[in-house]
Amino acid sequence: MRYLTVALAKGRLAELAMDIFTQIGMDCAEMREKTRKLIFTDEVNKMKFILVKASDVPTYVEYGAADIGIVGKDTILEECRNLYEMVDLGFGKCKMAVCGPVELKGKLDKITNLRVASKYPHIALKYFQDDKGQTIDIIKLNGSVELAPLVGLSDVIVDIVETGKTLKENGLDVLEDVCPLSARFVVNKVSMKMEKERIMHIVEEFTKLTEAE
Amino acid sequence: MSDWKLHTPNGVNDILPEECSIKKEIESTIWSVFTSIGYKEVETPSFEYYDCYIGTGGQISQETMFKFFDEQGRILTLRSDFTTSIARMAATKEADKVMPLRYMYTGNVFRAEQTQGARRREFTQSGIELIGSYSPAADAEVISAAIEAIMAVGIEDFSMEIGQVAFFNGLVEQAGLDEALTEKLRERIDSKDSVGIKTIVNKLDIDDDIKNLMIELPYLFGDLNTIEKAYVNGLNETSKLALDNLKRIYELLCLYGFEKYISIDLGMLQSIDYYTGSIFKCYTHGVGFPICAGGRYDKLMGRFGAPKGAVGVAIGINRIMTALGRKASEGVSASLIFAEKNAEGIAYELAYNLRVNGCLVEMYIGDGDYRDAEEYSNRTDIGCMLRVFPDGKLQIKDFTKQEIIETTANAFLGYYEDDCCDDDCGCGHDHHDGHHHHDCDCC
Repeated sequence: MRYLTVALAKGRLAELAMDIFTQIGMDCAEMREKTRKLIFTDEVNKMKFILVKASDVPTYVEYGAADIGIVGKDTILEECRNLYEMVDLGFGKCKMAVCGPVELKGKLDKITNLRVASKYPHIALKYFQDDKGQTIDIIKLNGSVELAPLVGLSDVIVDIVETGKTLKENGLDVLEDVCPLSARFVVNKVSMKMEKERIMHIVEEFTKLTEAE
Repeated sequence: MSDWKLHTPNGVNDILPEECSIKKEIESTIWSVFTSIGYKEVETPSFEYYDCYIGTGGQISQETMFKFFDEQGRILTLRSDFTTSIARMAATKEADKVMPLRYMYTGNVFRAEQTQGARRREFTQSGIELIGSYSPAADAEVISAAIEAIMAVGIEDFSMEIGQVAFFNGLVEQAGLDEALTEKLRERIDSKDSVGIKTIVNKLDIDDDIKNLMIELPYLFGDLNTIEKAYVNGLNETSKLALDNLKRIYELLCLYGFEKYISIDLGMLQSIDYYTGSIFKCYTHGVGFPICAGGRYDKLMGRFGAPKGAVGVAIGINRIMTALGRKASEGVSASLIFAEKNAEGIAYELAYNLRVNGCLVEMYIGDGDYRDAEEYSNRTDIGCMLRVFPDGKLQIKDFTKQEIIETTANAFLGYYEDDCCDDDCGCGHDHHDGHHHHDCDCC
């Protein structure tokens, strides 16, 4: 039997995904130890788990370096990879939103050359350009995006909103919702065909467990 | 600033001798398979007018084409797809021939893929187009030809997935979806995003059976039963005919003995907009992308003024190479001829005669002496050295057998010089075998 490789987005998603993998009988014990290892093997079930940066999960899965991936919908939308998105795992729930100073609420459509800062330039562009038909300027940032409107780098930002606390503290507010987000179970298109039974079995187990919750 | 002259641009590669020989072998194997089924090789230009490709959509969208201008300012495009070029060629030049037309091709296509490096922007495709038939037998022929070709190159474990675009089109038609929503639904079904499908479908005012079918579509893959499951009540004519057509193709392929390689996937939708009926993709272990893809494109010929049914498939040679891994084929080792001073003519004749008989013969062109030539042989994959002397003597050194044979160039080629001279060679051409084909001035 071939190994099935699972790419997990480092951090909280990986922890939650491991819980489910353990519940369906996979051995993830090795991963819970604090080590610097990046590949973990479950010899009994012929599974390999790899820990990668969230934004790299879709890449590993698209190229078939991993058969399965657990990653947030935000990353999937941003990376635009060609893969199967089989299960909504229901955890890691939050939303993608346009945020900015409250004064701008309801006025975004009227601003020409709206400057939008985001860690997710693709999602931002798609939302404004395709969904709203508005031409915008994108400023790609890598962190502390909330800062951009405060120092005049941009008018608004497109970012993940969980509680909205960081926004409030910086005097910003959600102006428009882009889409809801949560963790997803993604599968490489070739693996799905070549390992149909094994992967569908895991998919069914995951669906059962996540729908029960 | 990098020294660009030392680098190749993103997405293109050099192919070095070892890899190239593997590639050519694969291409020629596939060529033989397609040729034996009656496909005739054609070539189309490496670039076309941009207009030729307009409206192809999907994988071959405006963004993925390399464009430049001719001297009149018209837009030219590097070939981004063979099927379109061949359809143009067939429609404009061969439409009055006896149908069907069977074409095969091997060549490079160019796509300005956005990804960084890892995805190729120039790659080789080898494929066939069967033009002038609407029959499912044509689809089955093309699919079976692809399977034969894949098996011939040495891939045994693979899966040919067959879908039917018209089935989905029928459902959408029935639901009355507009173009934008259809595209959204298509994307979501193609990525098996059931959450996304439900959000769209649940808003529609349609029959529950059809609704459930749309939600189920991503999971409708497997054997013939899959098709049976899709025959729900309330399907419209388009969808029903699509299923009948798919079933027939599947049955034919089973009759041809390919059942273990094929599988149905109704949730697979087109990646290129011109597909109108069956579509298929072939997958194997070790390659994250399909190794071949194709389908029926009944409307494409019409765009070029000669409406005809057509179906084709393209095999990705580079992906086949990935699938086969680094299995380097046993290279034939060459022989090296070293000519002593004044023996160059004899040496060349010897080389020529060996070459026409199928030997791989290399000439030593260095300035050094025999010792240097030997040194060169040891450092390359030369299997045998032939040292030629001006008097016709020949010393053969076989590196694999570790032996040295002393003979003459003529004897080695089978001229039987001695016999020739003993037979009172006047010359009455009375030599006892067919070897004697030189102009007889031997005595």
